[in-house]
Amino acid sequence: MIHFEEELKKFHPSLEVEDVEDAIYNQDLTDLTDLVVKIVKEEQETEEPAGQTRG
Amino acid sequence: MFCYQCGCRLSEHDFCTACGADVSQYKKIMYAANRCYNDGLEKAGVRDLSGAVVSLRQCLKFNKNHIEARNLLGLVYFELGEVVAALCEWVISKNTRPEKNIADDYINMVQSNASRLDSINQTIKKYNQALAYCRQDSKDLAVIQLRKVLSMNSKFVKAHQLLALLYIDGEQWEKAGRELSKCMEIDRNNTLTLRYMQEVDRMLAPDESGRAVRKKTEEAVRYQSDNEIIIQPAGFKEPKRSGAGTLLNIGIGLVIGAAAMYFLVVPGVRTNVNNEAQAKIADIANQIDAKNSTITELESSLQDLQAKSDALEKEVSAYEGTDSTLANMELLIQAAEVYLSSQDAAQTADLLEKLEEAEVREESAESFRGLYDALRAAVAPQVAAESYNQAYQAYRDENYHEAIPGFLKTLDYQEDNGDALYYLAQSYRLSGNAQEAIARYQQVIELLPGTDRASRAQKYIKDLSEE
Repeated sequence: MIHFEEELKKFHPSLEVEDVEDAIYNQDLTDLTDLVVKIVKEEQETEEPAGQTRG
Repeated sequence: MFCYQCGCRLSEHDFCTACGADVSQYKKIMYAANRCYNDGLEKAGVRDLSGAVVSLRQCLKFNKNHIEARNLLGLVYFELGEVVAALCEWVISKNTRPEKNIADDYINMVQSNASRLDSINQTIKKYNQALAYCRQDSKDLAVIQLRKVLSMNSKFVKAHQLLALLYIDGEQWEKAGRELSKCMEIDRNNTLTLRYMQEVDRMLAPDESGRAVRKKTEEAVRYQSDNEIIIQPAGFKEPKRSGAGTLLNIGIGLVIGAAAMYFLVVPGVRTNVNNEAQAKIADIANQIDAKNSTITELESSLQDLQAKSDALEKEVSAYEGTDSTLANMELLIQAAEVYLSSQDAAQTADLLEKLEEAEVREESAESFRGLYDALRAAVAPQVAAESYNQAYQAYRDENYHEAIPGFLKTLDYQEDNGDALYYLAQSYRLSGNAQEAIARYQQVIELLPGTDRASRAQKYIKDLSEE
């Protein structure tokens, strides 16, 4: 059974042409590669102080 | 594939040969991104646009620099009627790779035509307005607005879905079904569409008792059968069809048709045929009259010509000598020619004698008569003398029958020849023709009065009278 009000909540306004600029700027373009690179960098940063300490 | 750290091209090893970075996981991420892109491409190919969006977004989550996936995602959004979302993806794609990027063409296609861009914008605004109407419970206005939106952009899937939702809410299942069918044509596996369609089918399908679920009105019953909407009056039952009844109806129809033909068509045809025949007859009668008139004219003309021909023939025959006019002319000329050339009075006289004097006197021209008289006068003395001598010799020989014509000829040329007249009388008397003799003696007495011949003539008259 379809309930109108409940279904209506699933519909959102569409972006208008004037909103394109904001939509592009606000889009999150982070992908998995960026995350992996970030993780790797953090790991490297964590390892270096430990290596310096040992030395 | 390039190293995420130094940007060098990666080999088959799990590390970058340039900077030594561990690229094993990186490669796995890239492979996963490519798999998602392929999946999205395949779904887009079979019009599972919703599924393609999911796959392509997943691909971009793995690799945001996947240009092909981003461009394809833009295309899918555009096909779904989400023009602004499509533009976003293409702009990002173009920023990621400015050169040799098809996204450039897509953006130009949308932005180059200002009226089209404005139309797209108006479509989106109207859709948003319709959504606002729905939230304000102004469903009728929302329906009107959505119809306008769909007339401007028939591929706007969300508008179709919202309109279908409104129809479902208004229990207009058939209309909702049509809208959802249009959604299915654009995006085959859209979850929302499928769910609504399921609901609509459930409402339109027969229930467990086997009766069709019908929306009843006071006057008509409506239900959907496949793609057709059937509206029939309430309580209407289709009549049972039987073979005998059909045949009987066909027979009655044939009889009625034949009767209609006989009473309506045949008289008209007959009248036409009669009219044509009458017209032909009239035409033929006119032709006959014309021909009769022509025949009459020709007959009259023939008569005239015949009369003329007869007249001309008469004239020709007159000139040819049937009434001797030409013959007389010829004789006269011949006589003149003989007299002038040879002075032969006897021959001339013979020719002149052939002319019939009565016709010469009555019918010939004055010149003809003149010439005739002249010739006669010219030959008269000689002819008279010769004929007198011959006649007298015959008288002396007592050949009175020969003497009489000679004396007559002499008198013909010389009326006043007393001797010829006297001896003519004598010849008549001696030949026994007393009556002629008396007449001639009388002429002698008149011609030669007081002469011896007159006395003797008197005596002979007396003697003949006493006999």
